[in-house]
Amino acid sequence: MMSRSILLVEDNPDDEALTLRALKKNNILNDVTVARDGAEALGILFPTDVADAVLPGLILLDLKLPKVDGLEVLHRIRADKRTSIVPVVVLTSSKLDHDVLASYQGGANGYVRKPVKFADFADAVSTLGVFWLLLNEAAPEFMPTSD
Amino acid sequence: MYQPPLDDIRSDGGLSEITLLSAIVNSSDDAIVGKTSDGMITSWNPGAARMYGYSAGEIIGQPMTTLCPPDRVGEIDEILGTIRRGERVVHFETERRRKDGTIFPASVTVSPIHDKHGRLVGASSIARDITEQRQLRAMSEFHRRAAELGRANQNLETFTHSVSHDLGAPLRAMSGYSDALLDEYGDVLGDVGRGYAERIQAAGEQMASLIEDLLKLSRILRAEMHLATVDLGAEAARIAGELQRSGPDRSVNFVIQRPVQARADHALIRTVLANLLENAWKFTSRQDEASIEFGTMPAQDVGVSCYVRDNGAGFDPAYADRLFQPFRRLHAADEFPGTGIGLAAVREIVQRHGGDAWAEGVVGEGATFHFTLNAKEMP
Repeated sequence: MMSRSILLVEDNPDDEALTLRALKKNNILNDVTVARDGAEALGILFPTDVADAVLPGLILLDLKLPKVDGLEVLHRIRADKRTSIVPVVVLTSSKLDHDVLASYQGGANGYVRKPVKFADFADAVSTLGVFWLLLNEAAPEFMPTSD
Repeated sequence: MYQPPLDDIRSDGGLSEITLLSAIVNSSDDAIVGKTSDGMITSWNPGAARMYGYSAGEIIGQPMTTLCPPDRVGEIDEILGTIRRGERVVHFETERRRKDGTIFPASVTVSPIHDKHGRLVGASSIARDITEQRQLRAMSEFHRRAAELGRANQNLETFTHSVSHDLGAPLRAMSGYSDALLDEYGDVLGDVGRGYAERIQAAGEQMASLIEDLLKLSRILRAEMHLATVDLGAEAARIAGELQRSGPDRSVNFVIQRPVQARADHALIRTVLANLLENAWKFTSRQDEASIEFGTMPAQDVGVSCYVRDNGAGFDPAYADRLFQPFRRLHAADEFPGTGIGLAAVREIVQRHGGDAWAEGVVGEGATFHFTLNAKEMP
């Protein structure tokens, strides 16, 4: 099932703490699950028992990640019918054109570069939360198939 | 010059050595010239006639200096000096002059000729026109430089990316945690403690701005130029409008000359005008009646010569040139904020347009920033 929670895939503990603080400060009180590398994110999205799986309403995905990198995580999310409808916004410090292009080609719903100033960063995170979790209409879930 | 009879060459293989050598000399593309030890021409092969344009009849008996451009005449004495010492001059790269006055690059080898008693009787000079060789060398140098530049740009790209990526995270942490400290523990910190946290925050944000501007400058350095005809006056007016909307409480009189047409890269020249006008806007902030002017001066030998003049804080003319160096600032940060990158970018951009930038000013009496543009279309 799909929830209104956020999956934050972020390996930098400072960026993790600041993202959580920015959400809280802007009264976005949705549950946040944190994955600290790509493998952990895949473990959360694709548990061994699919019946346990609760899909997040928004995935904030960093690109440079240990173990499995962000683009590979994105590819796996889009390749699976069940997770293909979850909004994924790449939240990274890279502004290399090829990273932006590869993210969109990989099916990202957005690409946001982390601002360095905390006030700007907090604005960006809050805008993302408000748009994707409140304003935007989520896709209807696929009906479970009989097989 | 010894001319072998033609039937001698065509005969049955019993060619004398001198006939054979003569045939080689005559068929050479190089100019092979005999001369006396004091530099008078004594023999002249067909290659020399083709290269210099003089027939043998015209040139034999004339001095070697006839073949030199005026500024190279002195070389002949030096070469003859070497020859008189019994030494050779090998592949000496110089210039020579044709009969029609045109000058070409040549590689010259000169050897002494001795008689059977070992006395110096003259010299032989072999000259080769190296125009093509020079061009090829220049081309390969050009390609080598281009490849080098490509690699340097690649390295710069990697470097600036890692700067923005790797320096950004700790700065974001500085900014974020000092914000958290002020927000959540401001009461406990007291006035002095809050002051410290604010300074940490301000320093982090200043560094973030510096990095951002440095990245902008590096993008300017790498940007490809696309020349178009741009109305600099219209651009200046647009930027002035944006500035006025950003500070509606300020009273600034803009005087902008229009149109000012120039060949320029639109985005880059907009950066020049924006940086100069923002600069003027900033440094007139303490003026009750501020005035900012954009106009042109009569241009001498350049495409267009523009200026941005203000009646703001001005600067000490002794430091006029330092203004354009990256990170150089003439004013304290709390007086007028800034990173010191804007004017460096201005000079870089106008230089890429074949122009230059300079400044005039007096403390308290305003400043004038001049720039010229003289962009040449690439073939």
